[in-house]
Amino acid sequence: MLSRNLRIACRRYSQSVTTFRTSEISPAQQNSNQIGLFYTLDNDLCKQLYGHGGLPKCFLKQTKTFTETTFMIRQPALEIIECIKATDFNKPAIRYVLHGEEGTGKSMTIAHLLHYAHQEGFLIIHVPWVSNWLRRVSRYKEMANSLTKEGFVDIPLDAAAWLLHFKTQNQHLLKSGELKVSKDYEWSKREKTPAGSTLLELIEHGIVRVKYACDVVDTLLHEVKLLSNTKQCKTFVAIDGYNGFFNPLTNLHTPTKKKVAPEEVTLTASFLELTKNDWTNGVMLLSTDAIAHPEYEQESYLPKYLLYRKGFDHIDPFVPIEVSNYTEKEFMTCASYYRDRLWLRGSPDIEKELKITSAHNPYRFMELCAPL
Amino acid sequence: MIMALFTRSYKPGVLFNTNLLWRSNSTLETLQKGEDEEEFRVLDILKKKDKHQRRVARPMKVPADRAEKMPTDQNWGNVWPGPRSFHPSSVPLPIRQGYVPKGQVPPGKKANAELMKIPNFLHLTPPVIKMQCEAIKKFCTEWPKMLNSEQAIEQHYPVEVITSDYCHASPTIRNPLARIVTLRVKLSSLELDKHAKDKFLRLVGDRYDKETDLVTFTADRCPMRKQNLDYVNYLLTATFHESWAVEDWEKQKSEEDMEYYNWDNNKSKRNLIDWYLKVKNEDRLLTDDEYKSFDVSEIPHAIEYKETVSDLFNVGENKETLSRYDTVVRKLLGLPEKKC
Repeated sequence: MLSRNLRIACRRYSQSVTTFRTSEISPAQQNSNQIGLFYTLDNDLCKQLYGHGGLPKCFLKQTKTFTETTFMIRQPALEIIECIKATDFNKPAIRYVLHGEEGTGKSMTIAHLLHYAHQEGFLIIHVPWVSNWLRRVSRYKEMANSLTKEGFVDIPLDAAAWLLHFKTQNQHLLKSGELKVSKDYEWSKREKTPAGSTLLELIEHGIVRVKYACDVVDTLLHEVKLLSNTKQCKTFVAIDGYNGFFNPLTNLHTPTKKKVAPEEVTLTASFLELTKNDWTNGVMLLSTDAIAHPEYEQESYLPKYLLYRKGFDHIDPFVPIEVSNYTEKEFMTCASYYRDRLWLRGSPDIEKELKITSAHNPYRFMELCAPL
Repeated sequence: MIMALFTRSYKPGVLFNTNLLWRSNSTLETLQKGEDEEEFRVLDILKKKDKHQRRVARPMKVPADRAEKMPTDQNWGNVWPGPRSFHPSSVPLPIRQGYVPKGQVPPGKKANAELMKIPNFLHLTPPVIKMQCEAIKKFCTEWPKMLNSEQAIEQHYPVEVITSDYCHASPTIRNPLARIVTLRVKLSSLELDKHAKDKFLRLVGDRYDKETDLVTFTADRCPMRKQNLDYVNYLLTATFHESWAVEDWEKQKSEEDMEYYNWDNNKSKRNLIDWYLKVKNEDRLLTDDEYKSFDVSEIPHAIEYKETVSDLFNVGENKETLSRYDTVVRKLLGLPEKKC
């Protein structure tokens, strides 16, 4: 009798949490009442923003299965949005550092905020994962000694790919043609970008002439800084796995088999220059991830440890924002979302079990649900 | 010739003793002698007769256990005067000891090897200790009246020397462990200045315990205690005076060699000043010394910021220091406070 009552109560409870979606699809309007709820992204927008990276691979697979891209509205993202709203854009750009244990949703928070930045008309400079450049050495990784900077190493293919990513993310801003280059840039005898040409032309040059891609990235970031300073655009910088720039060594090596340190890569130099707070009218969102740290067993996921002393000195003062595991409510809505997608089935007791086995960790929860 | 002699002197029974022969073949002759008078004995295979005649074992007269005969008001110190392995009859206690399966009772004290294995302190009962203390009291001198508290002792005698004496009944009375000398002193009682303290700590290395503030020197390299004691004293003196000495090369100490984080000399201060100048739209480049001497108190919340960053490095990064850093940075940058 008691167990039957309990079962009925359970069922009623699980039904009561069916409100897991919110119709508020504009991140700027989302508020703390909607924490834990899912909102759906437009597919075209999704392709534009995350087409060249930006969403974790396993999440991407899941969106394909669910035939929709939904983000959960969570506290860290709302907190940053609130901070951005309260920011005085005449002051130097403020740096936010996301930190948290593995799989708590740092990259997802960045993705959510990219959507926000896109809606608010920010120029987006987004690096999906720093270690893709510095640590993943594929067979066709091309490396060349830099022509313009002595002792530096170029990774032109990655730079060109990133330029494409930048172009697709900001196509609506770039197409308008208002963003112009401030001075002449001469690439070679015959190739040059005159002052007054649009950023789009500069980027196209980088994509077509891959040899100069790294230099183009450097110039582009420099120009964006200038444009932001002169209030022609506002800029949103998002770099995932930022602590990768401060690791002692990369997996790259020069043709002479010499190991390359991250600060010897031209892309690192340009992005480190970008993340200094010597420019205004911008927001910088960086994430430190234990996975990007060279040691296999990391002692800590806190930013100072992951960034090393030099990284901390570089971005200090920053606002640390912790991304934590699911709360009770977030877990329940996520579970009911999975139930709605028929991803999770069976008795309601299964949630309790999953809650314990995943320890409220979003990534582990997703992994555990996959074979169910 | 010999054969002829043999046949001539031959008599039956001369060469072979008949008795010997009989003994070797049968006892018929002797049996015949005795049994002529008695009846024919039947072989009693089952020994029925003996069964009835078996003696009933009488209980032996065993004196009562010594433990049971002991008077309750005896002087225990006389019964068990010195260290000794356990003996059941001398201890009038119902002791049990030993591992048994669950539900069973551990074996009693008699013939119990477990009780004999473990060391006992039956010779050190409180009354016995009291008695012995009374006995040796006449050899003690009076305790100084001024040293009435731990603090006073620590203040007047900051150096603590620890040695061990061993007493045993073997052919030699020397124990090699008696030579080891440990010297302990509180670092605070040495009264070192900032530089000397840093150098002293680097010199002593892991001999310093941060939690108790104690520096411990141990010497066992010399064969005699006196020599080790001298050596330990020498170590303390040498490190103390060496830590006060300032060498030329110590001027080359850079920020990485610092034993603690000094915010004023670090990049964090530069970052803050640069940021402040940007906010005020002042474009000026400062030299190193200007950075160091810049008075940050004109920047709002800068003092708190300085403290939290120093904490982050000196105390170590944890959730607490990081969240304090978070709140201060938000104040500094004029952002809304964190919601919990």
